[in-house]
Amino acid sequence: MESNKKYWKGLEELNKTPEFIENNKNEFAEPIPIEDILEGDGLKAKTPRRDFLKALGFGVGAVSLAACQKTPVHKSLPYLIKPEEVTPGVANFYVSSYDGQAILVKTREGRPIKIEGNPGDLFGKGGASATVQASILDLYDSSRLKNPMQDGGETGWQQVDAYIKGQLTAIKTGGKKIRIVSATVNSPSTQAVIADFVTAYPTTKHINYDAVSYTGIIQANQNSFGKAVLPHYNFDAADVIVSFGADFLGTWISNTEFNRQYASRRAAKALEAGKMSRHIQFESGMSLTGTNADVRMPIKPSEEGIAIISLYNALTGTTLPGSKKVSDANTDKAITLAAKELLAAKGRALVVSGSNDVAVQVLVNAINSLLGSYGTTIDLDNPSYQYKGNDQEFVDFIGEMKRGEVDAVFFLNANPAYDYYNANEFKDALKKVRLKVSFAPYSDETAALCNVVAPNSHFLESWGDENAVEGYYTIVQPAINTVYNTRQAEVSLLTWADAPVKDYYTYVRNNWNTNILSKAGLSGQQGWEKVLQTGFVKAAAKPATAYTFGRDLNAVVTTILSHSQQLAASGDKKLELQIYVSNNIQDGKKANNPWLQELPDPVSKVTWDNYAAMSIKTAEKLGIQEGDYINIKSGNYTIELPVLLQPGQAQGTISVALGYGRTKAGKVGDNVGKNAYPFLALRNGTLQGTTVVDIEKTSTLRYVFAQTQTHNSYEGRPIIHEGTLVEYKKNPAAIVGKKEGKEDYSLWDEYERPQYNWVMAIDLNACTGCGACIVACNAENNVPVVGREEVRNRREMHWIRIDRYYSFNGGGSEPVTKEKEINKLADLDHVSVVHQPMLCQHCDHAPCETVCPVLATTHSSEGLNQMTYNRCVGTRYCANNCPYKVRRFNWFNYWNDSRFENYMQNEYTELVLNPDVATRFRGVMEKCSMCVQRIQAGKLKAKMEKRPLQDGEIKVACQQTCPTNAIVFGNANDPNSEVSKALKSERTYYVLEELNTKPGIGYQAKIRNTTEIGA
Amino acid sequence: MASHSESIIREPLITGKNITYAQITNDVLFPVENKPNKAWWIGFTLASLGAMLWVFAISWTFWFGIGEWGLNKTVGWAWDITGFVWWVGIGHAGTLISAVLLLFRQNWRNSINRSAEAMTIFAVICAATYIFGHMGRPWLAYWTLPLPNQYGSLWVDWNSALMMDVFAISTYFSVSLVFWYTGLLPDIASIRDRATGLRRRIYSIFSFGWTGSVKTWQRFETVSLILAGISTPLVLSVHTIVSFDFATSLEPGWHTTIFPPYFVAGAIFSGFAMVQTLLLIARKVLGLENYITMFHIESMNKIIILTGSIVGVAYLTEFFIAWYSQSEYEQYAFINRSTGPYWWAYWSMMTCNVITPQLMWFKKIRTSIPASWVLSIIVNIGMWFERFVIIVTSLHRDFLPSSWVMFYPTWVDVSIFIGSIGVFFTMFLLFLRVLPSVAMAEVKLLLKSSSEQAKKKLIEHGHLDKEQVEFYKESLTKYDSVELADYDKA
Repeated sequence: MESNKKYWKGLEELNKTPEFIENNKNEFAEPIPIEDILEGDGLKAKTPRRDFLKALGFGVGAVSLAACQKTPVHKSLPYLIKPEEVTPGVANFYVSSYDGQAILVKTREGRPIKIEGNPGDLFGKGGASATVQASILDLYDSSRLKNPMQDGGETGWQQVDAYIKGQLTAIKTGGKKIRIVSATVNSPSTQAVIADFVTAYPTTKHINYDAVSYTGIIQANQNSFGKAVLPHYNFDAADVIVSFGADFLGTWISNTEFNRQYASRRAAKALEAGKMSRHIQFESGMSLTGTNADVRMPIKPSEEGIAIISLYNALTGTTLPGSKKVSDANTDKAITLAAKELLAAKGRALVVSGSNDVAVQVLVNAINSLLGSYGTTIDLDNPSYQYKGNDQEFVDFIGEMKRGEVDAVFFLNANPAYDYYNANEFKDALKKVRLKVSFAPYSDETAALCNVVAPNSHFLESWGDENAVEGYYTIVQPAINTVYNTRQAEVSLLTWADAPVKDYYTYVRNNWNTNILSKAGLSGQQGWEKVLQTGFVKAAAKPATAYTFGRDLNAVVTTILSHSQQLAASGDKKLELQIYVSNNIQDGKKANNPWLQELPDPVSKVTWDNYAAMSIKTAEKLGIQEGDYINIKSGNYTIELPVLLQPGQAQGTISVALGYGRTKAGKVGDNVGKNAYPFLALRNGTLQGTTVVDIEKTSTLRYVFAQTQTHNSYEGRPIIHEGTLVEYKKNPAAIVGKKEGKEDYSLWDEYERPQYNWVMAIDLNACTGCGACIVACNAENNVPVVGREEVRNRREMHWIRIDRYYSFNGGGSEPVTKEKEINKLADLDHVSVVHQPMLCQHCDHAPCETVCPVLATTHSSEGLNQMTYNRCVGTRYCANNCPYKVRRFNWFNYWNDSRFENYMQNEYTELVLNPDVATRFRGVMEKCSMCVQRIQAGKLKAKMEKRPLQDGEIKVACQQTCPTNAIVFGNANDPNSEVSKALKSERTYYVLEELNTKPGIGYQAKIRNTTEIGA
Repeated sequence: MASHSESIIREPLITGKNITYAQITNDVLFPVENKPNKAWWIGFTLASLGAMLWVFAISWTFWFGIGEWGLNKTVGWAWDITGFVWWVGIGHAGTLISAVLLLFRQNWRNSINRSAEAMTIFAVICAATYIFGHMGRPWLAYWTLPLPNQYGSLWVDWNSALMMDVFAISTYFSVSLVFWYTGLLPDIASIRDRATGLRRRIYSIFSFGWTGSVKTWQRFETVSLILAGISTPLVLSVHTIVSFDFATSLEPGWHTTIFPPYFVAGAIFSGFAMVQTLLLIARKVLGLENYITMFHIESMNKIIILTGSIVGVAYLTEFFIAWYSQSEYEQYAFINRSTGPYWWAYWSMMTCNVITPQLMWFKKIRTSIPASWVLSIIVNIGMWFERFVIIVTSLHRDFLPSSWVMFYPTWVDVSIFIGSIGVFFTMFLLFLRVLPSVAMAEVKLLLKSSSEQAKKKLIEHGHLDKEQVEFYKESLTKYDSVELADYDKA
């Protein structure tokens, strides 16, 4: 609307006064007093310009002065002369050897940070066990002795040398005995050193003392075949394996090697070739090996001998005098069946027993001889030197000490004050010895009783060699100077013996030059350098020959039966106790290693404790529930342990792990669990881990185990697919329930992955659940140790875990996997187990990525799900939304919170941290990165060398250490990569694939070689 | 409006004899203009002790880390988000009362909207403390805002429900605050006009120069209406978005399309319960029986029974859908809720939210002040359990049984929650002391038309249907602030 109306702003405008008209010409109605300000009083105001400048000047000056504090000095010293071989940021690898196994030591800027298997190694072929992986942390262990000790006080090496030499000279004149007690020494150079020492002091004798010995087998071989050796087993040559309590995948003799051999007959290739082995296990407690068996029969320790006799009878068709049947009819049936299968697989069969009883092992020898195992699955001609200890020798040694015949004793890697069954007798006898020297790197239980502790260096600080199997020599090479003021035991011995060559490097080299290099056709400087590159020499193996057992078995059977009778627990509250070696901390020597303490037991998933494993039925009968404390009493020795209800445990038995209850292991290992060594019994000249104990419920309190998994069944969910070999042969695809014509619908865009698509394949049939991958990942990725209480709070930080599920045979065709149905079952003894490594699945449609408000977790162009720690604000939404629950939150500042004595905080142990991986601050999420630092390093290396990346060139830490090659990693964009091939398997399925998260990790279904029994 | 009389059969919204505009001002401003009484001091002491506990516990958390709570690798949220959703839900009644009921011309809202809105604001503040408190690195909370930065293209994730939450809650808080404060202006001006000295100057500043002119009132009404229009969608959107935190995930028990309406109903349910909890006490202690009458109490109870029943239907629907979906994870989640290790939490929720509110069908119960108060507390408890059940029992057993865990709260979890109630009440009690707890100006609007005395006058004038008058009298029997004897005389 148009309007001609004029609006006036004031009466002046309406009236158009002359002043208004005049003023209206100006922009401003009133003049602005700029002139006044610039010329008049403006500059004479109270705060003139000069004053302002003065104040400003003073202010700036004062602030500058106040700020002139000394800048904190951060000393980071550059190399004045750069060592030729050290380039900051580039890792060096050195060959070395651990327990006879060839390894590679990764060092960064001069410090070892990771151990990896040597791909050429005879045992692991690149794989390495959790123990090997964890051993690097011991290098920096601040509980280690920092100086030699004399009479409880620190001293220097010169004083120690002077004192000991003086003593030894006196003892030599006195003519009394000198003893060197050590765990098995298979090092040729150490043996030579001891020989030199014996030459210098002729009354010296070397005693091999193994805390857990294999005397039974060694003696049995002596009896049966005249060869006192531990044979070298070939599980990969066995079509049928029957084990009586031998935990060969867990702790028995050479587990890394056995894992590899075993899996080679069960994983993808063996399956596809139709050569899957069959494994029948008879045992009391549930062992890692038992969890992998196709058929596992729980059997009491007292019946184990009877079962082996039955097997012998069934194999030969005869009846040994005095034989009886095992009490359980099913077990008896299983024995008959096992005999049938063993006979059918003659020459491709293997029977092993975990017993340390000579009689039992003789009978096993007889069986193996019957089956033609010698020369095929058992090699007596290239024996193992991993354990040489003879229990009787140590018993005799105590006798000698008691009689006052021993004047000096040296303990090398031996701790009988803790791990001898009758430690008190030993301690009393030791008092009579004049000179007691321990080479222990810790002030351990035995070292505490010695006059002198001459701490041995860690193997990563030492020269040396090992000969674990006939013809296989590995070199031990230092990767760092001694961290503390320690000295190799060999150097000490050479010094005290006044040997001509005291420098151990020269000594080892001379020894190799003269004795070892030639065995592999090497010689001189070139040969030595080659050894330092390969890490080992392998002489041509002697042909394995067949041995025939020809001795009378009657006496053996009588012994076995009488032992059985002694072991049979009768009466109220009496149970048969089975002692086993801890999967993680072994015989207790590893008790001070936090990585191993926090590694969940592969069966029970308990960390930081040992416990009394009991079957559910037995506990019910005794009115005991999980976590109840019981007193376990045998003779004068009693320990109080909480009860763990273990499916598969034989009724009427309990199992307790060795290695716990250390009192002088160090900060980490002291008073963790209870010592079970005193329960070992000396029978028939060997120490045996079975006995009868009295049980008594004590406290009303319930113990809460620090377990990483508390729900044990997979509830029939399609997260695990398993089938039998028969089903597999019929139709492998049916096992994983693959449907034809399934279409994918997705709301999300596909990511571009132009070059690489990093994925993984995990073969559930290869994974034995050993847990090596967990420790390897800890070491590679600086994963914090959180301690018992925090594991109990369910906050372990492991990036990879192994889910272990039990299922039961309910009589139907399908296994019973639902908790509610399991509770109704009458038979809880026959349990099947599946191990499933679980880690970030690197989903293509990752549920975690969409929910993060700040985009801290995103997808890479290479198929990785990345976690950006710096961006994370810690809402934990991603962890909630992760269906696999693999994300780990930093609840505390583990590297800086004084309430956690974490290895990441200690000024020594923190040196093990991988500089390529950031430690994480409190309040951020972390998870498996698929070792992105390794991927990056691999890509860079290829780029520098101007070549495409090869398949298999990048190995992630878990994959690399896995002795069974259960984990394959690689580029899915390359159709010829190992992982692409593995994922093409008909057994491949993706966990929770129905959620359409499109995981990057494909699992291959578990196949059990079950026939009518135990299906 | 005052010119024409309201139908006699409508129940009065203001009771009492000889109520005048001045009387209303006097009654409402009594706590503001006088020294606090003993009851207030007792309440304030308890509340501030609670607030101090909160300060201690939250400082403890910030110092040591979230690990001081009972959370673990599987249960990443528990008491924190339970508390957050609980407080946000409580806030909703305020917005519903002030916005939706205004649009629907429900005049009875005038007596309760002020306190309800204050409650909204304080509840949202409590909820916000959880947003910051639950973060692993709360000092970086500003990263959830889309702030330009020097890190290149670093931006926030608009797909994340938490991101939407940030905006939902901040919008909600700011709109609620503006709405509340706008409504307060005439009342603050009233205080100013009656005050002297410093008080007068302070209230003068906060009254934003309210003049009370017709133009001001007109604009005030317009702004109120506009803000009501803006707030109304918020009643629905805020808790819808809060429910997205769960609904957009793939956790069984969370991944549900029913969540938005179910959460909104639950929020209103819990909000009204909280209004009841507060006002039933406040009207007694502050002597506001004539303004917050039995009609108000009964109306709110009716809303509680309605929303409670909606929530109940939602619970049952969830079960049906879990069965109907044939998704084993979903089915297990619900079976586990009702029969798993946290069955007691589920059945507490069911009892408190679905079963006991049904007692409100009985007029005796819904018009009984003690019963209403007890039931309102029960609803508050039930709604806390609802969030606990949704969050913890879904998380603690989801897809992979290997990761199934239990959640146990620590003293810090409990202290922060109890402390947040302390913080809430501290703020609410301070509010009662400095601002009018009833919107005087709006209540005055009703005096001529909907008050008991106006109706009485009508009766005295005669010309009314006898039956209607009897009906009216009958309806007065439930009032605790009406003397029926007066009517017998009339």
